[in-house]
Amino acid sequence: MELRSNEFKARAAANLGDAKLQKGLGLIKVKAVVNRANAVAEFGDFEALREAGKAIRNRALADLDLYLERFEREATARGAVVHWAENASEACRIVVAIARENGVKTVAKSKSMVSEEVGLNDTLIEAGVTPIETDLGEYILQINDAEPPSHIVMPVIHKTAEDVADLFHEKHGTPRKTDPAALTREAREILRPKFLSADMGVSGANFLVAETGSTLIVTNEGNGRLCTTLPRLHVALTGIEKVVPTLEDASTLLRLLPRSATGQAITNYVSVHTGPKHIDESDGPQQFHIVLVDNGRSKLLAGEMREMLRCIRCGACMNHCPVYQAVGGHAYGWVYPGPMGNILTPSYVGLENAVALPNAATMCNQCGVVCPVKIPLPDLMRKLREEQMARGLKPWPERAGLALWGWAAQQPALYALGTRIAARFMKWLGGSEKLIHRLPLAAGWTNGRDFPAPEGRTFRELYKARRK
Amino acid sequence: MSSRDAILGRVRSALGRKVSLPDTAAIESYIAAHPVGLQPPRDWEPELRFRARAEALASTVEKVSSLQAVPGAVARYLVVNKLPTGGVCWPSLRKLDWIGAGLGMEDRPARGDDLVGVTGCYCAIAETGTLMLASGPDTPAAASLLPETHIAVVDTARIVPFMEDAWALLRAERGGLPRAVNFVSGPSRTADIEQTVTMGAHGPYRVHIILVG
Amino acid sequence: MRVALFVTCLADLMKPGVAFAAIRLLEHGGCTVEVPQTQTCCGQPAYNSGDRATALALAKKTLAEFEGFDYVVAPSGSCGGMIRAHYPELFRDDPATLKRIEGLASRTYELTDFLVNVLKLDSVPGDFRGTVTYHDSCSGLRELGVKAQPRALLATLPGVTLTEMNEAETCCGFGGTFSLKFGEVSTQLADNKCGNACATGADAIVGGDLGCLLNIEGRLRRRGDLKTQVLHIAEVLAGRTE
Repeated sequence: MELRSNEFKARAAANLGDAKLQKGLGLIKVKAVVNRANAVAEFGDFEALREAGKAIRNRALADLDLYLERFEREATARGAVVHWAENASEACRIVVAIARENGVKTVAKSKSMVSEEVGLNDTLIEAGVTPIETDLGEYILQINDAEPPSHIVMPVIHKTAEDVADLFHEKHGTPRKTDPAALTREAREILRPKFLSADMGVSGANFLVAETGSTLIVTNEGNGRLCTTLPRLHVALTGIEKVVPTLEDASTLLRLLPRSATGQAITNYVSVHTGPKHIDESDGPQQFHIVLVDNGRSKLLAGEMREMLRCIRCGACMNHCPVYQAVGGHAYGWVYPGPMGNILTPSYVGLENAVALPNAATMCNQCGVVCPVKIPLPDLMRKLREEQMARGLKPWPERAGLALWGWAAQQPALYALGTRIAARFMKWLGGSEKLIHRLPLAAGWTNGRDFPAPEGRTFRELYKARRK
Repeated sequence: MSSRDAILGRVRSALGRKVSLPDTAAIESYIAAHPVGLQPPRDWEPELRFRARAEALASTVEKVSSLQAVPGAVARYLVVNKLPTGGVCWPSLRKLDWIGAGLGMEDRPARGDDLVGVTGCYCAIAETGTLMLASGPDTPAAASLLPETHIAVVDTARIVPFMEDAWALLRAERGGLPRAVNFVSGPSRTADIEQTVTMGAHGPYRVHIILVG
Repeated sequence: MRVALFVTCLADLMKPGVAFAAIRLLEHGGCTVEVPQTQTCCGQPAYNSGDRATALALAKKTLAEFEGFDYVVAPSGSCGGMIRAHYPELFRDDPATLKRIEGLASRTYELTDFLVNVLKLDSVPGDFRGTVTYHDSCSGLRELGVKAQPRALLATLPGVTLTEMNEAETCCGFGGTFSLKFGEVSTQLADNKCGNACATGADAIVGGDLGCLLNIEGRLRRRGDLKTQVLHIAEVLAGRTE
C-alpha cells in the first residue's frame, strides 16, 4: 500500500470538509460505539475480561519463539506447510511461488490486513494471477481502482450507499440501486461463481493456536469460510505475533474481539482450520499453507513498543478516537489508521516516514480505556514523541519553543516576569471584547477560534498584593 | 540463514534468551493444562439460553421430540416459508425418511446453486446461541454455507454451556480437531454499507434450528 | 490540615480568579492553604511533547516545592493527573526519588475530588443561578476518576440545574500543543463540543480544566455565541471571591 503518512496534516484538514466521509464517520458514533457499549454492559465484568485478554497476549509474547515453534510443529504434523517471511517482499514471493507451482490463475481473498501491509494484490497481478477481494467492503474498494480501506473492520466507512450504487451501476452494468440489501445481493451473485472457480483462497488469521497448529478466523459474511473451503489451495497470511497458547485462550479472546469491534457477542462465523482436507472429505483445500510474517514485529518485541504486539485488530481504538472520527482513515496514509496506526505505522515504516502520526492525538486516552487487551496507546505515542525528540525529527520552531519555555519554567523569577508581561500584552490584544482574534505564533489556534484574553495581572501578583 | 532462523533468532534475542535451546517444559505444561479463562456467569439453563441467543441472532428455532420427526418439521418449515422442498443434506442424515416427508434431499457435496442445506452439528453452545460444525466425510462444511437456507438439527443433549466445553468434548471424543471447525451464529450478514446490517452476504440468508429432545 | 495549592500555569496567567476560588473552597473546608511562590508548571507540555529531560527537571522542582504538605490540590485534572499518574513513570529509573514521588502523587488531588473524597464537603458557598452543562475533561475523567465529584458538588447549589450534554466525555480537542499543531482538527473537535453543549440550552458550560475551557470558549465566541458563559467549576462552587 502506498505510504502517505507524512501528508497527514493536509489530508486530515481536507477531510474535515468532506461531507460524504463525515456522514460515514458520524455513523460510527451512533452504531459501533453504542453497540460496543451495550455488549460490554451486557457481559458483566468486562474489565476482568480485558485483564484476562491482556494476560493471554502477554503470555504468548513472553515465549513467542517457543509458541511459534510449537505451532509450526503441530501444523506440520497435520499436513499444513508453514512458511516464514522476514518482510513484505518475501511474504509476497512465497505466495506467488505457491500460486505458480500450482498453476493458480485466480485467488479468492478474504479480508487480511497483513495482505494490505505487504501489498499482496499488486504482486499477484504482476505475476499474472488475479486476486478477487470477496469481503463486500474490500470488493467495493477493489473495483474502485483498488482504493485503500479507511478502517480495519469497516473498510468502506467513508462511502455512502449512493457511492456504492453509482459504482456497481458503472462497473457491473446493472440497473442502479441504493438499498444496501439489494447491493449486497448483487455483489453476492457476482462473487459466487468466482468463489466456485478460484484456484486458491487467501485469508488472514485472527489467531494461531499453538496447541493444535490451527489458524482461526472470524467473519460475518461467510466469505472467509468460502475462501477456505472451496478452492484447492488455502494460504493463510498472518503476523508472527498472532499466536496464542490454547483453544481456551482463543475462546477468551473471542469474547473480547467481536464485542470490541462491532458489539457482537460472537461473529457469525468463527472458523478453525487444522491441516488440509482428508482424502475422504468432499470439501476443503488439498494444500494448506501458512505464511508467518515478521515485517518488523520481532523488532517491536525488543523495544518499548512491545505492548503494541498484544493488538488483536478490533478497531475499537479508532472507533472511539475523536481525531479518527473527525478525519477518517485515509488521512493516516497507511494500512492501520487511528491510534493503533499512530504507533504501528511509524514502527513499521520508520518514524521519519510518519512524523505527524505519534503527535496526531489529544492524549485523551479514550482508545486506551476501550482497548480489549489494555494497550496503553497514549503512553506508546508519547514514547515515540520522545524518540522523535532524541532523533531531531521534530520541527525546529517546536524544539526551540519548548527549550525556551522549559528553561524559563525552571527560573521562577524570570518566569514570573515573563508571565506578567504576557498577561498585559494579551489583555491589550484582547481589547474591549476581551477576545484575541489573531495571536502571534498561534495561527493554528486563532484561525478557527478566538483566544479568550487574560485579566491582565497574574495570580502570583494578585496573591502577593493581597497578602501584604 | 533461513528466514525462519533469522526471525526466531531475533525473537529470542528480543526475549533475552541466553541459551540456544530454551526449555519448553513451562509452555508444554500450560498447554497440557489448557486452563479455562474468564466466562460470563452461568445463571441460565443451557437449552433456554441457546434458544434465546440463537433467536436474538436472527435464527429461528423449533423443537421436535425425536429424530424421526425431523423430516416433517423440515418440510413444514420449507412450505410455510415458500422455499424449495429439495436440496442437500449431510451424509450423516441420509437415513432419515425425507421422501416420506415429500422432500428431495440428496446426500452429496453441496453445489453453488443448491438452495437448501440440512446439517446436524457436533454440538451447540448455549452462551452465544452457536452451532459447532466439525468437518468430515459425513459432515462436509459446504452444506451449511453455499445454500441460501441452512437447516441445522441439534440434539438437545449436545447443548453445552460454553465454547470451552465444546473443546473438551472434542478432545474427549476425538482426541483432537477435525480439519475445519466452524462456529455458526445465525445467518450470514454484513454491515459494510453504511453500517446497515444486511442478511445473506455470502452464506445463508436464514438459519433454522430444529432441536431434538 | 496544610494544603498546598498547585495554581497551574493557566490559572496564573489567564484566570487568577480560578485559583482564588479554589483557595476559598479549601478554606471553607477547614484547610490551611499555602501557595508555594516558586511554582511554575508541572511539566506536562514537555512530557507530552517528548521532552523528557525538561519534564523530569520540572517534576523535581515540583517535588521540592510541594513535598512538605499534607496534600497538594490543583484546580485541574490535567496537572493533577500529570503528578498523580505520570510522575512515577518519569522516575522509574531513580528508586530513591521514586519513593518520594509516589508519596507526593498519593497526596495530590484534583480540586473537586479533594473536596468530595477527602474533605467530604456537603455544602459550598457558591450562589450561581441557572442551568449548567458539565464537560468531563479527559485527564480528570480517565486518569483520576473525576466524574461524580463535580456533579455532587453542583447538586448542593440550590440555584443550579445540571443538564447533561451528549458526548460529555468526548475530548474537546484541546490536547495541549495539539491545539496549535493540528489547529483545524482541534477546532473541529471544539466545534462538536460547543454544538453538544449549546444543544442543552445551558446558561453556562462548566469544566474542571482551563485548557479545555479556553478552547471551548474560544470556539464558542468565534461561532458568534457571546452569551453562553464558560466557567471553571471552582468559580461556580466558590461564588464571588472579591
